[in-house]
Amino acid sequence: MTTATRSRFWHSDGRRLSGLATLLLLLPFFAIIAFVFIYPLAQLLFISFFEPKPTLDNYARVVANPVYTRVLLRTLWTAMLVTGLSVILGFPVAYYMSRVRGALAALVGVCVILPLWSSVLVRTAAWSFLFQREGLINSALMAVGVTSEPIKLLYTQGAVVIAMTHVLLPFMILPIYGTLRSIPNDYMRAAAVLGATRLRTFTEVILPLSMSGVASGSLLVFLTALGFFITPALLGSPQELMVATLVSQQIREVLDWPFASALVGVLTLFVTLLALIFSKTLRFDRLMGAQT
Amino acid sequence: MNVNYPSDKVQAAGAAVRIRRLEKRFQSVIAVDGVDIDVSAGEFLALLGPSGSGKTTILMSVAGFEFPTSGSISVGTEDLTYVPANKRNLGMVFQNYTLFPHMSVLDNVAFPLKMRGVPKAERYARAEEALATVRLAGYGSRHPNQLSGGQQQRVALARAIVYRPRVLLMDEPLSALDKNLREEMQLEIKRLHAELGITVIFVTHDQSEALTMADRVAVLKDGRIQQIGPSRELYERPANLFTAGFIGEMNFINVTAEGSGGNISVLLPSGERWQLPASAAVEPLTGCQKAVLAVRPERLQLGDAHNGFTFRVKVDDVVYAGSASLLIGTLPDSTEIRARLPGASDLSALALGSTAVFTIPKEAILLYPGAAQ
Ligand SMILES: Nc1ncnc2c1ncn2[C@@H]1O[C@H](COP(=O)(O)OP(=O)(O)OP(=O)(O)O)[C@@H](O)[C@H]1O
Ligand SMILES: [Mg+2]
Repeated sequence: MTTATRSRFWHSDGRRLSGLATLLLLLPFFAIIAFVFIYPLAQLLFISFFEPKPTLDNYARVVANPVYTRVLLRTLWTAMLVTGLSVILGFPVAYYMSRVRGALAALVGVCVILPLWSSVLVRTAAWSFLFQREGLINSALMAVGVTSEPIKLLYTQGAVVIAMTHVLLPFMILPIYGTLRSIPNDYMRAAAVLGATRLRTFTEVILPLSMSGVASGSLLVFLTALGFFITPALLGSPQELMVATLVSQQIREVLDWPFASALVGVLTLFVTLLALIFSKTLRFDRLMGAQT
Repeated sequence: MNVNYPSDKVQAAGAAVRIRRLEKRFQSVIAVDGVDIDVSAGEFLALLGPSGSGKTTILMSVAGFEFPTSGSISVGTEDLTYVPANKRNLGMVFQNYTLFPHMSVLDNVAFPLKMRGVPKAERYARAEEALATVRLAGYGSRHPNQLSGGQQQRVALARAIVYRPRVLLMDEPLSALDKNLREEMQLEIKRLHAELGITVIFVTHDQSEALTMADRVAVLKDGRIQQIGPSRELYERPANLFTAGFIGEMNFINVTAEGSGGNISVLLPSGERWQLPASAAVEPLTGCQKAVLAVRPERLQLGDAHNGFTFRVKVDDVVYAGSASLLIGTLPDSTEIRARLPGASDLSALALGSTAVFTIPKEAILLYPGAAQ
């Protein structure tokens, strides 16, 4: 680690990349990031503080109105629910994937990755189909006799959470699978020879060692969920707005850019705080798989 | 599940290990092919063999990670053939240390005691004690990645002995270490073995390691035992051609042998005929057949020493190496001959391309049926 102060990039034969090569490799990427991410974000934050004049009024409006704070809290809560559900549903799948070999492993892997090839819109539309009054879920529930009347499923927060979990699940499964796969088989053998049952091997060794995968998956899912737009807009109830929908409304319908920008500012603050907390406790380089 | 372990002050003595007709197949590959090994209580046995000879598979069967296709394994009086690994109560040290990276050194060493339900205070006390045994007292609070490779392997040793298993299994435990550390750890393991009286089965592909550390060495090839015996026996009287070539350096000369009464007459490529004592034949010879005459390079003497057979060698190279010099030469039929000559030998007459006379003492000659490649 100490030798890697100047450049962290190497040729395959072990020579370091020159400064110029590093620049050429990374410049296009950073240029895109700067233009489509940093510049507009800075612009929005600028608007939130300086329109119509230098002021904190836009933020005051977010905080003062309980409707808006409720939207923010609902968004946080939904993102947390989605993250929690993804961990619970994703971990077993990732664990299974890391244990099986051959054709079955390939099949499960494809099942996890395949949904990523269709758009979020398609997957959300599929759920709205299932959640309809006469949709598959309601007819199934009535056939089994759980209910005699169709239940209202579409346009509820529950529908949003379920569909978002489905859409984001791969982003939880893949990092966990990655860390589980990187645990050497010998650790399991060592634990067994030292007297651990399979359950204790799991709780004492596998689970703690997979935590970095759970953390990076959670971070990915949580942050994506915070800004999710399509799914809440299509499946959610108009009375239970989430931040992304609110921002879109403010920009396209009310044309209140300063207020929309302030909402984005608050969201950015949350995300930054979270990233800071996580980077302190979890070390980003380790999340990304660096050996220490 | 609670595994019994001897009470605190009682020295855990080793247990005998019996491996009977062990066979392990992976699909069409026969990894272990009818192996019988008896390790007596407290013995240090090394499994030695080329890559793919089945050493790891045998050890994994004893540890309980592989279940044999047929045969049986017992430790002490218990048949463990199909007992799961976590109920065998054996110690094991892996090649790559396998210390759990998320636990401190002390927690690593205390882990097996935790699995056995030992109360916290006691298990930490015993873990400290085990760390002291491997001379790492005071390192408990560190994390494994803060230790050198040798230290990590010693922690792994402490963790493997803290619950006083009767048998300690090691699969190439030192091959990840550099030479100096390896020699230090060899001594450490020998010392622990003597101190604890534990039975050790030690896999290695380093023959000098096997010969210096083990009470007995089992030589394996293609899943079969070639020879089991004390180092000295293996070196001085290898049981077959494979062991003769595998252990140490050996000169091989293809001959035709004919047994007659108490003597064996061999016909050398040069046309010379030597009369050898019957004891030279390691495996019985029948009638007139192709055989291989084997002799260690250090047993060859320069000049006519009047105590054996003399023969001529064309000198191809002389490598001076301090305590001994290595002479590489050829017989008239171009069989390569190597001789190790004591450092003080007079090498001035050995010009490259010249012919030197060597003596083979009679008792240094071994004879095997077959032909060297
Ligand atoms: N899980 C497995 N599946 C298929 N074949 C295997 C498996 N494990 C071992 N083998 C085969 O069994 C044979 C013996 O392997 P083993 O690992 O016991 O050899 P080894 O003596 O330990 O070799 P090395 O010195 O390289 O460690 C080899 O031919 C190997 O390819
Ligand atoms: Mg091996």
